[in-house]
Amino acid sequence: MASNGAYNAFEMARAQFDHIADLIGLDEGARAFLRTPQREFHFTIPVHMDDGTVQVFQGFRCQHNDARGPSKGGIRFHPQETIDTVRALSMWMTWKCAVVDIPLGGGKGGVICDPHNLSMREQEQICRGFARQLARNIGPVLDVPAPDVMTNAQHMLWMMDEFEEIQGGHFPGVITGKPVGMGGSLGRTEATGYGVVYTIREALKELNIRPNDTVAGVQGFGNVAQYAIELYTQMGGKVISVSCWDQKDQCAYVFRKMDGIDLPQLQSITDRFGGIDQAKAKDLGYEVLPGDVWIDQDVDILIPSALENSITAENVEKISKRVKIIAEGANGPTTPDADKVIHERGIHVIPDFLANAGGVTCSYFEQVQSNMNYFWEKDEVLGKLDVKMTAAYSAVSELARKQNMYMRDAAYVVSINRVAEACRQRGWI
Amino acid sequence: MSDELRPTPDGLMASLTERAKELNCLYHVEEALRQGGATDETFMSLLRAIPPGWQYPDVCEARLTIEGRTLSLSGAEPAGGVLRADVVVQDEKVGVLEVFYTDDRPGEDDGPFLKEEVRLINTIAGLVSHFVLRLRLQDLQKDWEALRQGGGDTGGEIWRSPLHLLRESDRSLYLRIAHKILNYLCQIGVEEAQEMLAAASGVNGVNEEMSGEVNVPADRTAHDPDYLMSDAPFELASRYLSQTEVLTRVQNWMQEDKASSLLRVLNNPRSPLPEIVDAMRRFQHGIPDKRILRSSTLKTLRVSLTQRLLTEQIDFVRVTKENMEIEDFYDLTRRMIIPAGSHGRLGGKSAGMLLAHCILARSADEEHPVGEIKVPKTWYLPSDGLHDFIGHNDLQDVIEQKFREVEEIRQEYPDIVRLFKNSTFPTRVVNGLSVALDDFADVPLIVRSSSLLEDRLGTAFSGKYKSLFVANQGTKAERLEALADAIAEVYASTFGPDPIEYRRERGLLEFNEEMGILIQEVVGRKVGKYFFPAFAGVAFSNSEFRWSPRIQREDGLVRLVPGLGTRAVDRVSDDYPTLLVPGKPNLRANVAVDEVVRYSPHWIDVINLEAGTLETRNLADLVREVGADYPGLEKVFSSLRDGMLGKAPPRVLFDPEKTELVATFDGLAYSTPFIGHLNSMLDILEDKLDTPVDIEFAHDGEDFYLLQCRPQSRSDESAPAPIPKDVETRDIVFTADKYVTNGWVPDITNIVYVDPDAYGELGSREEMQEVARVVGRLNRLLPMKRFILLGPGRWGSRGDVKLGVSVTYADISNTAMLIEIARRKGDYVPDLSFGTHFFQDLVESRIRYLPLYPDEEGIVFNQHFLLGSPNLLAGMLPEFAHLEKVVRVIDVADATEGRLLRVLLNADLGEALAMLVDPTESAAEPAPTPEVTPRLPVQYWQWRLRMAERIAKEIDATRYGVVAIYIFGSTKNATAGPASDIDLLVHTRGDARQSAELLSWLDGWGRCLSEMNFLRTGYRTETLLDVHLVTDEDIANRTSYASKIGAVTDAARELPMGDG
Repeated sequence: MASNGAYNAFEMARAQFDHIADLIGLDEGARAFLRTPQREFHFTIPVHMDDGTVQVFQGFRCQHNDARGPSKGGIRFHPQETIDTVRALSMWMTWKCAVVDIPLGGGKGGVICDPHNLSMREQEQICRGFARQLARNIGPVLDVPAPDVMTNAQHMLWMMDEFEEIQGGHFPGVITGKPVGMGGSLGRTEATGYGVVYTIREALKELNIRPNDTVAGVQGFGNVAQYAIELYTQMGGKVISVSCWDQKDQCAYVFRKMDGIDLPQLQSITDRFGGIDQAKAKDLGYEVLPGDVWIDQDVDILIPSALENSITAENVEKISKRVKIIAEGANGPTTPDADKVIHERGIHVIPDFLANAGGVTCSYFEQVQSNMNYFWEKDEVLGKLDVKMTAAYSAVSELARKQNMYMRDAAYVVSINRVAEACRQRGWI
Repeated sequence: MSDELRPTPDGLMASLTERAKELNCLYHVEEALRQGGATDETFMSLLRAIPPGWQYPDVCEARLTIEGRTLSLSGAEPAGGVLRADVVVQDEKVGVLEVFYTDDRPGEDDGPFLKEEVRLINTIAGLVSHFVLRLRLQDLQKDWEALRQGGGDTGGEIWRSPLHLLRESDRSLYLRIAHKILNYLCQIGVEEAQEMLAAASGVNGVNEEMSGEVNVPADRTAHDPDYLMSDAPFELASRYLSQTEVLTRVQNWMQEDKASSLLRVLNNPRSPLPEIVDAMRRFQHGIPDKRILRSSTLKTLRVSLTQRLLTEQIDFVRVTKENMEIEDFYDLTRRMIIPAGSHGRLGGKSAGMLLAHCILARSADEEHPVGEIKVPKTWYLPSDGLHDFIGHNDLQDVIEQKFREVEEIRQEYPDIVRLFKNSTFPTRVVNGLSVALDDFADVPLIVRSSSLLEDRLGTAFSGKYKSLFVANQGTKAERLEALADAIAEVYASTFGPDPIEYRRERGLLEFNEEMGILIQEVVGRKVGKYFFPAFAGVAFSNSEFRWSPRIQREDGLVRLVPGLGTRAVDRVSDDYPTLLVPGKPNLRANVAVDEVVRYSPHWIDVINLEAGTLETRNLADLVREVGADYPGLEKVFSSLRDGMLGKAPPRVLFDPEKTELVATFDGLAYSTPFIGHLNSMLDILEDKLDTPVDIEFAHDGEDFYLLQCRPQSRSDESAPAPIPKDVETRDIVFTADKYVTNGWVPDITNIVYVDPDAYGELGSREEMQEVARVVGRLNRLLPMKRFILLGPGRWGSRGDVKLGVSVTYADISNTAMLIEIARRKGDYVPDLSFGTHFFQDLVESRIRYLPLYPDEEGIVFNQHFLLGSPNLLAGMLPEFAHLEKVVRVIDVADATEGRLLRVLLNADLGEALAMLVDPTESAAEPAPTPEVTPRLPVQYWQWRLRMAERIAKEIDATRYGVVAIYIFGSTKNATAGPASDIDLLVHTRGDARQSAELLSWLDGWGRCLSEMNFLRTGYRTETLLDVHLVTDEDIANRTSYASKIGAVTDAARELPMGDG
């Protein structure tokens, strides 16, 4: 454990937890229990490499807390994976599942390896080795892995296959992130973007503003942004600006149309990475502006859904007086310094792990469907998603309002409290 | 093109009609002789065929007297004059052919006969001569067969008759053979033979001393021909040798003699190409089985043929000698368009392709299978075709073009192109092109240059001369015109400013430039209105880019693109070819699905047959348009669904609207033997050519076509830099000995060093991310491609910022080098990223990558210099002063009293060295010139500075309210490249109107300078001036560019102003 003051992800996660524990007034026993993962697995995975040699890879799996249900969290392939990173991420998963009130705990896993140095066959061996090592400790009712850094649906299918081989049956609920038709869920692409807008809709209701009277600015034009814009526009809102990265110029641009962007039109001139064709956009009447002006738009709602640390101490002052809501579609778009300013200005923030929880909620739905081996239509998935997101938002917002608490803190309070309560009810603490 | 290209159809038809009768007659004569045997009936048919060719067939009679007998159809006698022609076989008159009229006819050119008829009878008599010769040879053959079947010795002296024939037909050959048989008998110890030889040469006995080393000229041995012309030598031989052996030897010597006649033609520098081609044809038909020739003879022939037909480059000749067969050269001549009296060669590009194809066709074995390799059908125009063209059109003036100033050349170049395109080709060439077009039919063509300078070791002219696509659609006349047009344009490119500049830089200006032309079918398929190959690419046997330590340099690299290969050969800023390592095909540069998709080709070059143009299309759009008709769809594309890449769906299920396809080449790499074959090809070629190679290829979905092969280009990618051994330790900044690539790095003015220890001690994620932002800011402030980045672990690390600075590509895009430092931690050295997060961006923008292992034995890492030199960070970016301990910005010149940092990379030695040098020291030779920053940087900044000084002198300070004028950036730093602008900072106190006028005045300058720069360099910009106006207030607040005045690094320098 780092003692020289150097940055350590696990220390950070604990510090954040301690801050909330103080707010709740959590007792020492509960703190001690929640500060550390319940279970950790450290194991080796020997692999016969393509050149005939054997290489041994180090694997981890942390199950931080499963009081509310089976652990849930991704498996990372990373060359400098450390147990502390995995611990921190598993803790964050516990809070993330709890804030949307889905009956799952938090977990995370990883293998120290660099897929750039590995053939697909070698990666398959690692996946199967991982599943063999953990065959008795993961499963639909124990711990449910998912894709993460440098892993994808293919890796998940290899692991599922190995697990099923060992268990002698079909258990698609052992893993999520599978393709549709192989135990995956419909609605996955829409889930995060739509989730963001469900929470915006609820926030507007509370603020007594009709969506038709609002204008929004979106940072980014990827998957999350496009679906958020789709639903928000359906609700009657008007998006006047989006931004995207220009691969050729190596910088971002804002595309603005004051009377509202036309999503299908923009999509028709966008490549699959969300890059918009500048010339065609100009022809269609869009203003093309420097990328950093996304933040100073005169709008009611800002939806940062591109990069980490987009709102910093340097640009936070540029946020228009008109802005009432910031819905964090991306992970960690706001730096702590900037967060303080936003808090002081009284802007209603829908924090990232609540706003973009549509993704994990859909994973939960995938698992539920897999377990019963019956798969819903897309409408059904999205309908259920709406219910979950609405309820989650309301619980956080209600707390924030009643206790006059900052939304971000309120989200953590709700979630940590739910976990602590589950532990108590089980009589663990 | 000119009228000369268009023969008038009427005239042609008329002359054809005139000759029709004659030709018809000849045809029947030939038929009669071809089908006939050695009987009088054959001659009778011949006589019947003759009269219809004459003006009055009804009264025309032909008569043949041959070998003592006279043959005639009717026995009628001539009424007037008689046309006669002798039948001559091997210089001996064996008969006479006569044609006459049995009734009087009016006088013409020659009695009653036309001059065409005189020619005709001579031609027919010639045909009869050949026929008689053929009959005699057939007899000879029969004797021969009888001898063979008779089992040799028992058949009597069967050698006599063929040798007699030989003696009668070719005295000198008979003599040479007689001499040879005697020599042979001497060798096996037959003394009489020695005597006979001595007698023939007038020397008593064999002079033993002749074979020793004597320093006086040997006596000229005069043969006594008459003695050898007798049967004696062969009679002697038949006593010691079997009949079969005598005849076999005689036959072999006769054939060898044919080889030497080819050699004589080849070795005569005056023999023009048509004569060589003719000699080759005789050789080819005369010696069907080349195995009877001595291998030294064959090698000599191959060497001469290479030198006369392909190139004189010595390395090349050495390889062709071993790897090309005479047949290969012969095949080649059948598709050559040869200008009259040509002495040209085909040039390097043609030579490389042919040689590679020959090597691969013969060297592949079970261990190195290469599959079936095709070369596209190609016609060649030899290198002196250019001079022929110039002479034909009186364009000699252009030759002196190369000695003019580059500005002039650039200015006049468009006129030259126009002039060339309005010129005509000699008729012989036009006819050749016409034949070529008939052979090609209407497939699109590419006209490529194959200059004698091109593809020489170390002088890769790749892309300097034009290659033009020709859609080749329409009528024959249209196609011919378009083809001639393209050739003229490629010829004109010899006199373009860029190749001339390039040659001047390399001291090749005086080399008499000759340009061969290849007219090649474009590999591909017609799909709708487009024509393109399934994919194309370029493969290198040595990889200069590696993304994993498991990849060896020798594993090679291939760049693949869908469609035409133009996008694989050139670097494209907005697209990515797919990279594969032939030696390690399972290791891919991009692993995560989003990476794979992002770094996949998005554009495709195709030929639009309707428009007749080369087009760049969006790949997804094109696939939607052509659907499953895309050739080799399953080899090129994977389908993307639910975050997973899988096989492209089978044709019947493929719906272009619903299936998202990504060009991954997974199908090609993993479901076909392609990569293995490619790997073998590179291995074989590198081995045979004894140098790393690169090849270009295309694939039409079914077949692999080799398009080009040459020694791996050193100039555009990399050349190993010599590593000096006598460098003082204090001048070394770092050394490295692992994963070193070859590479050229311009001299470095600034170092950005992120100290691994200090970075590791940062307390928060936010601070670490701040470091990335600092790097991004420095990337924009420091002189482009003149600084290097050194930092801990993995640049671009996304998940764990602790492992490395989490920059994006945009944050490092201007660096010359990206260096990752792996410091030992306890007993563990962390893995480095090898730049994998933006690997392809590094490749496309030529940013060099180097990993450093400072704690390894024998490695120098000058921490003292990196930590001890003044840090400019706080001065440049005051808001990040608190990160001073972590990020160090070193101005190398400031820290070392005006020196520069030079990084030398040598993959051949596996060594890299970064050392401090004086700016006057010339770059290590042979430092190649990367395409992006041509050498002679001196010029670029010098005249820019002169112009800036001029502007300052000319400026009307009072009128525009100018206080001072400063220069900064690349012009001041003497680092300006051909495309650099001139950064001016103008301190003004004028009002808005004055400022506007000032800007407008400067804009005029900027545009003029831009035009000047274009003429010098070919870089087109709107203006060459980048002007920044600053006010007193700016200077007081040190805002924006005002901070450059009196700045810590790269301070702006004031320019003296005139009196205005």
